[in-house]
Formats: sequence, C-alpha cells, structure tokens
Amino acid sequence: MQAGVGVSTQQDHLKAVREAVGKARLSLNAGKVDFALLFTTGEFSHPLVLQTIAGIIGPVPLLGASSPTIISSQGPLKHGLVIILFSVTEGVYFNAGLVKDIAAKSTLTAGIELGEKLLYGCKNVRRNLSVIFSNTEAAQSSGLITGLQEKLGKSFPLIGASIPRNVDHQENSLYFNSEILNNASCGILWGGKLNFNLGIEHGWQPLGKPRYVTKATADVVHEIDGQAAVDLYKEYFAKEIPELKRELKRISVFYPLGISISEKKEYLLRSVVAIRNDGSLVFQGEVPQGSAVRLMISSKESCLASARKAAEAAVKNMEGKKIKFALVLDSLSRYTLLGRQATQEIKIVREILGENVPMAGLYTSAEEAPLGFISYSLGKTYFHNNSIAVLTIAN
Amino acid sequence: MLMLLIYALTVIPLSLLLIYKAQGLNQLQSQVNSLKKSLDDMDEQAKLIVRTDMELNKLQEELDKKIVGLYALQRLSRIISMTLEEEQIFKRIQPEYLSDLGFEKAFGFLWDDTKKQFILHFCLGYSDDETKEIQLFINNNKERCLNFITSEKTLSSISESNNLITPQQLSDIFKAHAFIVSPLAPQKDNRGLIFVGTKNVEMLVTEGDEELIKILATQLAQALENARLFEKTWRAQQELEKKVTERTHELTVAMEEVKKISARKTNFVSSVSHELRTPLTSVKGYAAILLTGKLGELPKEVRERLEKINRHSDELVHMVNDLLDISRIESGKVTMKTEICNLREITSKAEDLLSGQLKERKLSLNIEIPPEANLVMADRTQIERVFINLIGNAMKFTPAEGKITIHARKTEKMAEVNVSDTGCGIPEEAQEAIFEEFYRVDNAINQEVKGTGLGLSLVKYIVEAHGGKIWVKSKVSLGSTFSFTLPQTS
Repeated sequence: MQAGVGVSTQQDHLKAVREAVGKARLSLNAGKVDFALLFTTGEFSHPLVLQTIAGIIGPVPLLGASSPTIISSQGPLKHGLVIILFSVTEGVYFNAGLVKDIAAKSTLTAGIELGEKLLYGCKNVRRNLSVIFSNTEAAQSSGLITGLQEKLGKSFPLIGASIPRNVDHQENSLYFNSEILNNASCGILWGGKLNFNLGIEHGWQPLGKPRYVTKATADVVHEIDGQAAVDLYKEYFAKEIPELKRELKRISVFYPLGISISEKKEYLLRSVVAIRNDGSLVFQGEVPQGSAVRLMISSKESCLASARKAAEAAVKNMEGKKIKFALVLDSLSRYTLLGRQATQEIKIVREILGENVPMAGLYTSAEEAPLGFISYSLGKTYFHNNSIAVLTIAN
Repeated sequence: MLMLLIYALTVIPLSLLLIYKAQGLNQLQSQVNSLKKSLDDMDEQAKLIVRTDMELNKLQEELDKKIVGLYALQRLSRIISMTLEEEQIFKRIQPEYLSDLGFEKAFGFLWDDTKKQFILHFCLGYSDDETKEIQLFINNNKERCLNFITSEKTLSSISESNNLITPQQLSDIFKAHAFIVSPLAPQKDNRGLIFVGTKNVEMLVTEGDEELIKILATQLAQALENARLFEKTWRAQQELEKKVTERTHELTVAMEEVKKISARKTNFVSSVSHELRTPLTSVKGYAAILLTGKLGELPKEVRERLEKINRHSDELVHMVNDLLDISRIESGKVTMKTEICNLREITSKAEDLLSGQLKERKLSLNIEIPPEANLVMADRTQIERVFINLIGNAMKFTPAEGKITIHARKTEKMAEVNVSDTGCGIPEEAQEAIFEEFYRVDNAINQEVKGTGLGLSLVKYIVEAHGGKIWVKSKVSLGSTFSFTLPQTS
C-alpha cells in the first residue's frame, strides 16, 4: 500500500484543496488512488470542498472529519486541511461503511449496522484492522463499539476517533464520500496482507486513595463510596458545586477519573463533562458500577513522555518494514493541557516515526483503541479519554 | 478428675491461643488503622497537591494566553506595518490572529469627516445581516461613539457602565459575551474604533487583554497614518513626475528649435563662406597680378598695401576654409574616412612641415609614441590637421627655447595623445571656452598674433567625430597640455 499526504493552510478553501490534493498526489507517487482520508478544521466543512476533491481524484471512497485542530507533520494546525491518498497494492483489501442518524436508533444497532457494512465484500479475506470516526454523544460511543465488536469480533483491532460535535461554537462534521454528516459514524476495514502497529498512552497518574463506584448508569456516576459522586471533587478541590461548575472545563481536562483495570495495571481515563445538581457526574464515556476509581493528575512533561511511549510502541516490531503511513489521534484535552507545547508533542511523534513517514491526524474528544496493544490476540478495544493513539501501517 | 485435667489441658492452651490470636488481631487492626491513617494522610496530601496543581495550572494558562496573545500581536503588528495600502491594513487582520488573542469576532470603523459618518473597514465573525445591524447601530450612535473615541479609554465587558455606552448594551448588540472596544487614533484625522469579542462564556476579559487590544489599536492607527503619508508622498511624486515630463517635453521642443537654428546657422555660415571665397579668390588673384609688376611698376607704398591685402586675403581664406570645415562636420556632411593610421608617421609629417618655424622660434619638439599606442583608427587627413593645429598653437604660445612634447599612451580601448608645451598657459576660467568658435584667450600674445579663434573648435569637432574626447590641463606661465583620445585598432 502506498500513501501520500498533502497539507494546505491557504485561506481560500478551493485553492487549499487543490494545493493539498496536488501535494498528496505528488507524494503518493502512484497512478491510481483507491481511497482517501480527509481531516480539516471546521471552516473547511463545506460541500464544495468535497466536490472539488472528487473532481480531482475521481469517485473513490473518502472518509474523514473536521476538528478544531488537525495534525500534520508540520504540527497542529488551527486552520487548514490534510488529505491522505491511498493506493492499495495486490493482496490488500478494504471496505468503507457509514451509519447515519445514530440518535434515532440504539447505538448497539448502529454499531452492528456499521459492522455489517464494513464486512460486506470482506467475508472471505483475513480481516486486519478497522478505523472508525464518529460524532455522537459520548454515552453512545460505548454502545457503538459493542455493536461493532459483535459483528467484527471482541478482540478485533478497532481504532477510532470521536469528534467533538461543537467546540467554541464551531460545528464539526464527519465526511463520507460527498456527504457532510452529524450524529453518524463511518469507518474503513482493511484485510489481507497488511502490517500495522499501535501505541496508545495518556500520561496521567493516580493520586489519593482508591474509591469505588457504588452507583452508576452508563456515563452517569451517581455515587462513589456510597456518597454523591460530586463529593469526591468537592473534597479534593475544596469547592462547592457552583464553583466546580465554573471550573468544569479545567477539571475535565486536568483531573479525570481513572478506572482501574486490574489485569492491565492501567487506568482508563474518564473526563467529567457535566455536574448535575443532584450530585451525580456525567463522564465522557461509560463508567461501570463497581469500578475502582482514582483521581488522576498529569503534567506537560508526563504528557510528552507518554506521547513518546505511544510513538515508540507504534514503531516497535516494525523493523525492516517501511512504514507507509501513520495516523495520529490525539485528545483535545492534551492539546489544552500542553498549550504552547502541543507542537512539541507532534514533533516528538514525528522524530520517532521518522521524518519521511507520511503522517496525519486530528484532535479528538475521545479515542477508541485496544488497551496496551501488543498483538492481534490482545486487541480488545476500549473507549479512552485524554490519550494519544499512533497507528502505523506498513506493507 | 482426669476429665477435668483433660478439659483444663485443652481449654488452657486454647484460651492462651485465643488470647494470642486476639492480640494478633489487635495488632493487625492496629496496623490496618495505621495504614488507613497513612492512606487518609496521603489522601489529604493529595488534596493539597491537587489544589496547588490547579492554581499552578490557572497561572500557567494565564501566562500561556498572554504569551500567545503577545506573539499574535507581534505577528499582526509586523504584517500590518508591511503594507502601505489603507484597505490592505484591515484585510491583514485574519481569524487565526484573533483566535490567538482569544476572540472570534471583530470589526473596525473609521470616521469619514466628509460624509459625517462611520465607515466599516473590516468585519469578522458576523453574518451580512449582523454586519448591517452593527453599521446601523454605530451610525445611529455616532455622537456617543465620537465621544467614546475622544475619551481615549477602552471599554470592555468588565468595564463599569458610563454615560456613553453600557457594556451590557454592546454585549447584546454585538452578540459577544466578552469584548473590548478601543478608540483608534483619537487625536488624528483617521479616528475610529475597533471591536473584538467572543461568544465563549468561559472567556473573561482581563486588564492585560485590554492592554493588548489598545496596543493593536495604536499599531493600526500608526499603519493608517503611514499609509496616508505614503499616499500623500506618492501623489506629490506623481505630480512632480508629471511636471518633469512636461518640462522635458518643453526642453525637447526647445532643443529641436535650437537644432534647427543651429542647422540654419551652419547652412548660413557655409553659404556665406562659399560666397566669400569667390570674391576673395578674385581679390587675392588681382593683388598677386599687381604684385608681379606685369601691369606696371608699383610705387613702394602701393606694393606695401598690396602685400597687406594679399596677406589678409590669405588669412581670410584660411578662416573661411576653417568655417566651412566646421559647418560641414557639424551638419554631418563630412564623414570620417577611418583607416589604420600610424601616429608616429602623422606626427613626423607634422614635424617636417613645421620644422622651419620650430627652428625659427628656437623650440624643440619631442615625440614619444610607444608601439602599443601607435596605431589608431582615424581619418588621416583630419588627424594631421589636429596635430598641425595643436603644435601650431603650442608654438604660438611658447617662448623661445621652450619645449613641445607629443606623448601617447594606451588606455582601455583608446589611444590618448597629449600635446604639451612650456608656454604661457591658459587661465582656468578660459579653459572650457577655448574650444568654442571664435573664442580667443585675452593675453598679450593673442593681441600681437592674429588668429581666427576657429582652430581648437575645428580640432574638437574632428576628435569628437572620431568618437574621442578632447580636454586641456593648464597652469598660467607653466604651460598647457592638450589631450585627446582616438579609437585604437582592435
């Protein structure tokens, strides 16, 4: 498989599209384009952008999303677009699928529907990897994954990005072929002779004593240690609910809850997205009742070190194989925490991947990936917050 | 009894064991309590850490925001100052700079004193309808806005209400939760205002933000001032260029007129010279016949007068010939028949021709022409005239026992010939004029020796017709050096 990446930051959208596609074609160095990934900042989310791309590369499958900030090898871009053109070699198969109006159906059904669509045409080949993008409510994402796993298999490597639907009054959308969508999920499934590797890390550390979720429903935690869930944050920050609400954005980014996963000695992070007046907390993703949880804390240095670890994991065991493309899914919380050092994080990843490896990605509200990804058999996918996932694909 | 003993032997150790176990349990409980206390202590420490961390993060965020804002301001200032077009200055304010400053909405108005209204120069983050509403609001409140500009103070969402415009009113009209309005050049002609705002409810405007926007307003005002000054200077330059073009045209017309007059003068001189030559030839001829005595012996007085007539006729013929030559060269009627000429040969011929006079005047003539400067491309006849004229002049103004030297040297593409004498020299003020027609230096020799004042003029015309130059260096009573250049053979 060959991949070519093109980036543009031009103000004029159509000029930017032509520039980025031109660069991607040049770097692809292959006659045919089989499918494309597109990541843009919000202002590029326009049908004309997709029409122009289709006009240049032809009617090939296109997937992608818009985000407040996208990732290119130059670093994070707050205005621009990055397109990745793929040319598939013999023995590699792929299929793209879309599920719309997720809110109108159960997320589990939506996941199953997407799984079926992805499997269509790939039933008799060895399935390797699936990458999905969705912009649904956080609570719906877990169901979506479960539905997908039902069709693709529990340990099937599934890597995904949840796109923030609205950040600073900027709507973000999914792209699928010529459509710009909301409340949808789209993905691509690879099969055949494909090598890939993944690293996912967050860099947060547990702080204080462990607590237990005594009452929870999906992404809403009602009680921790038999008390209102918000008491945990009230105790730690010495603030009452109104003050906590005012500081919610900061608390959400800097101090998520860590769900202890006993067999992995790792913590799955869950950011608080809302504080209800009844004292319950709404998290970015499901928190199972009975989970052991701890307050988590991080620093810029720890975040940068975790990015290094993720990138190192993504290139591990890839010796001798030329990495054709690297997809970086990075949490918007990390972008906020790192501030001016966000560029440094991408630079670290780039250094480890190698300067010549085509690289692109976007900032997400949540990430889906196997935890502690080592091999195919350990590929159970989890829903992550505040993480950086680096996926490398080689022939 | 035995039973009692057995019972005692069983119960006592069991009791002891129970006591021991109970002690162990107490110890364990104590350890658990201790651990629990440690854990609680650790948790208390964690709370302190979290609270401190949160405060540090807030400070860090504020610092980051300021650095990003300052950096954006620096970039914005740079690109604003790089343009000298008024409209371009506002177009340089792009959303990414605003975003780095923490805002997504902005607009700028300038007061038009002719139209007596505020003109919108840029607007970001608003729909067309919203933009129209803003324009309407600003111009419906122009007096209040002008007073606000005169106040020279910024107004923001955290300002206290004053009599001019209330922050809440602006927040509603301009659809921004947090905002800053800053006057633009309140003391200047190009006064106006800029607004930046955001819908982000989490954004809190600080005094630092107000300072940044105030600096941006100052930079904008300065850039506008520069643009207007440039416009003024450019217009003045255009005016000047127009005048120069007009004057050049007038001069060109005048030059054409001068050329026409000069051509007419040349033609006139040529015609008059021709007309003069015929009667002169007759006068000279008749005088010569009379002097031969064939028409009868002449009295001494008559002979003397006739000889004078003959001599003056010769001078007049010479002058007429020179005038004819000058007018021919000037009108372009004479073309130089250039060929490879040997300067040594030409100067030797001139020396032979003038040897009698040199001897008579006790003057020495040295000729130093190195081989590299010997060959020139020239019209032999004309160059001979140049040498005869220059050596003749040197002889005329150099007293007895004096020296005349002809020296040549090679320059880049030319041969430079210098004719030097040890004569009386030429005053500095006359050095340029001596090449003009009929000019004669006012000195004792010129008063005694007659001349036409055309010789050097003719020499100049000949040298220039070859593409060369002629000039003189002289000091009174030390001598003169006439230098001229001629093209060398390739």
